[in-house]
Amino acid sequence: MLNIQTRQEGAASVVSIQGKVNFEVTAQLRDVIRETVATVQPKLLVINLEGVSFIDSSGLGLLVAARNSVDKSGGKLHLSCLPAPVKKTFDQTNLTNYFSIFATEQDALRGA
Amino acid sequence: MAKGSVLVVDDEAPIRDILSFYLKRAGYQVLTAANGMEALEEMGRSRPDLIISDLRMPEMTGDELCKRVKSEPSTRDIYFIILSAMDGTASRIGGLSLGADDMIPKPFHAQEVLAKVDSSFRLIEMQKEIKRQNRELTSFQQKVQEEMALAAALQMGLLPKLPGETRGAKYTHRYLPAAGIGGDIYAIIPLADGSTAMMIADVSGHGVTAALISAMVKTSFENQARLGGEPLGWAQGMNQDLCRSTLVEQFATAWLGRLDPTSEKLRYVVAGHCAPLRIVGGARGGLQRSEVLRGKGFMLGLDPQLPFRENEAEFLPGDRLVLYTDGLVEVEREDRTMLEEAGLRRICAELPGDIEAAADAVIAQTRSHNQPAPFLDDVTLVILDRDS
Repeated sequence: MLNIQTRQEGAASVVSIQGKVNFEVTAQLRDVIRETVATVQPKLLVINLEGVSFIDSSGLGLLVAARNSVDKSGGKLHLSCLPAPVKKTFDQTNLTNYFSIFATEQDALRGA
Repeated sequence: MAKGSVLVVDDEAPIRDILSFYLKRAGYQVLTAANGMEALEEMGRSRPDLIISDLRMPEMTGDELCKRVKSEPSTRDIYFIILSAMDGTASRIGGLSLGADDMIPKPFHAQEVLAKVDSSFRLIEMQKEIKRQNRELTSFQQKVQEEMALAAALQMGLLPKLPGETRGAKYTHRYLPAAGIGGDIYAIIPLADGSTAMMIADVSGHGVTAALISAMVKTSFENQARLGGEPLGWAQGMNQDLCRSTLVEQFATAWLGRLDPTSEKLRYVVAGHCAPLRIVGGARGGLQRSEVLRGKGFMLGLDPQLPFRENEAEFLPGDRLVLYTDGLVEVEREDRTMLEEAGLRRICAELPGDIEAAADAVIAQTRSHNQPAPFLDDVTLVILDRDS
């Protein structure tokens, strides 16, 4: 079960995720991100992964798609607060170098 | 057009006539019988949708008729209404416990019977519709299952034939897709220059879509490798192929390697995939030291601009290469831990020299580590032994 919360911080949208991001829940997360990007068209989308215990390949795919769609609408995607297991998955797939990753949500909001 | 057929069973002719009159006027096709025996004979000629039967009749009573109709599979679904002169709850329950679907107490009003028949037919229609939909669903499900089985067999056909042999090495695999069909694929192909091209890949997601893309990955790899060159060029070419032909969320992690039987080195590219293990002298079995063939690189199909890097590792005669997909080591146990690379290395520290026995041992030991959790993701294990 995935817990997703969204809020606005000025021109930025913040999506906080808690739980396991795998094949079963990507549809739920995809809808939230799609709707946020479509309705708010944020200059900056911050996805806070602090509560994520595990992410599989479909979850990674979803984040890549999120980056693409934010890019297209002229915004930026920042990820923040990667827990150790998630960080490991990112390192293994070299995605650490594909995304802009920040240690804290505040850093992610500032680092526009 | 008749609405449906009703069999009226009563030993009193006036009652049969009255009910027939009303039912016919309402559009039903009506059959009649004077007792249970006649009713059964009538049913031998044509099968009614509904039976209205008196209880007390000579030759065969209504409850006996009801019992026979409801105990025979071919007539069990006929809606059965009992006409009973015995009013009161007890006899109603008695009638229904015989298996009748409804009761009408005598004396009755013909309109009441008609209303009941109408409402019964609505139920009968509903039942028929549900049954029809059920049949459709069952046959659809059967078709999907057959197609999945066919697809799974086709996918198995994409894997190299075992026992696998290439110049200077032999190999085997264990392929366990999570849903009968999966996104894992590997290929080992001899090249014209005498070397061997190797690839293992894991497509994001599961099921049919992942399986389709895995077939594309394999084709792309074969095309690239046959052009010659080194794994770096193959990775770049495959990345372009996949970026062109897959949706944005779909990509594959992969490991690509080239084994030259005249060299002591193995050249490889890691594209977001679990790094394979080199077991030094592993083909000889026993206690062995392993190395992780690390490297950094993006998965394939993400972005056509992304760079890849080629690595080189020592790979000597008698060495063993263990390629795998993350499903093997990423099963979360009840204590929330996973086997991971470190655990796989522990298992690989002592394996039989026989390649098939070694593959069985790896699967058995990862399974027993994971217990009680089963493999949830597609699992592929490939072991390649370089001849001594």
